[in-house]
Amino acid sequence: MAAVQPVVTHGTGHSTTEERDRPWQVVVWNDPVTLMSYVVVVFRRLFGYDLETATQLMLKVHVEGRAVVATEPRERAEVSVAQLHAHGLQATLARD
Amino acid sequence: MAEIRREGDLTLFQLEPKERQVLLEIVDRIEPMLGSSHWVSPRAYGDDELEREFRRLAGEDLERSREADLATLREGLAGPLPVRLGDPEVWGWVRALNFLRLALAEQLGISEDGWEERYSPRQHRRPPLATLHLLSWLQEELIDSLA
Repeated sequence: MAAVQPVVTHGTGHSTTEERDRPWQVVVWNDPVTLMSYVVVVFRRLFGYDLETATQLMLKVHVEGRAVVATEPRERAEVSVAQLHAHGLQATLARD
Repeated sequence: MAEIRREGDLTLFQLEPKERQVLLEIVDRIEPMLGSSHWVSPRAYGDDELEREFRRLAGEDLERSREADLATLREGLAGPLPVRLGDPEVWGWVRALNFLRLALAEQLGISEDGWEERYSPRQHRRPPLATLHLLSWLQEELIDSLA
């Protein structure tokens, strides 16, 4: 059975166009059990990063506790966070 | 002895029926912990109102996705041996294994890096830590098979 990927079609809240277009950061947080190799393959799969970029971001999460993995319009950023959650990674949104 | 190898487009997981039974029992034991795990269902927003709205839009899909991944894992384990997985199924397995590892670790009170050093070699060899290590091994081998 193929896994269902979460779909967020609309950004949360009722905001103006200007507010909606403002970039948001997709932040991934460290946890002590998720394998480093897993984080790398998930970053590559979801964001299309090459191995070196994905590895650098994973190490930033591991060493600094968090890393901004993408900066996107809010609706797109919510989709990214939902996809990261669907892979079991700790991800939040923050205003850029 | 369980072994994972690549054969063309497929990942083959060779294991004994007894080993398969152990893995299925592990899934059965840990799955009920998923619902109460903060790591399995993390917040997207610090703000409560935004978080409620995010949950309203994405919460059900995320739950369905997680259930589908666990079903993929169970179906694979219950099927003919060796288990033959295409890449979409491998992804289902690695995601399901990650959720199981997160929930088990949270249940064990693991909260920060370096937790391994808190336990003796003997504790690492026995359940529940040995269970966590077994799931880690399986997830790591499957990730390698995707590369």
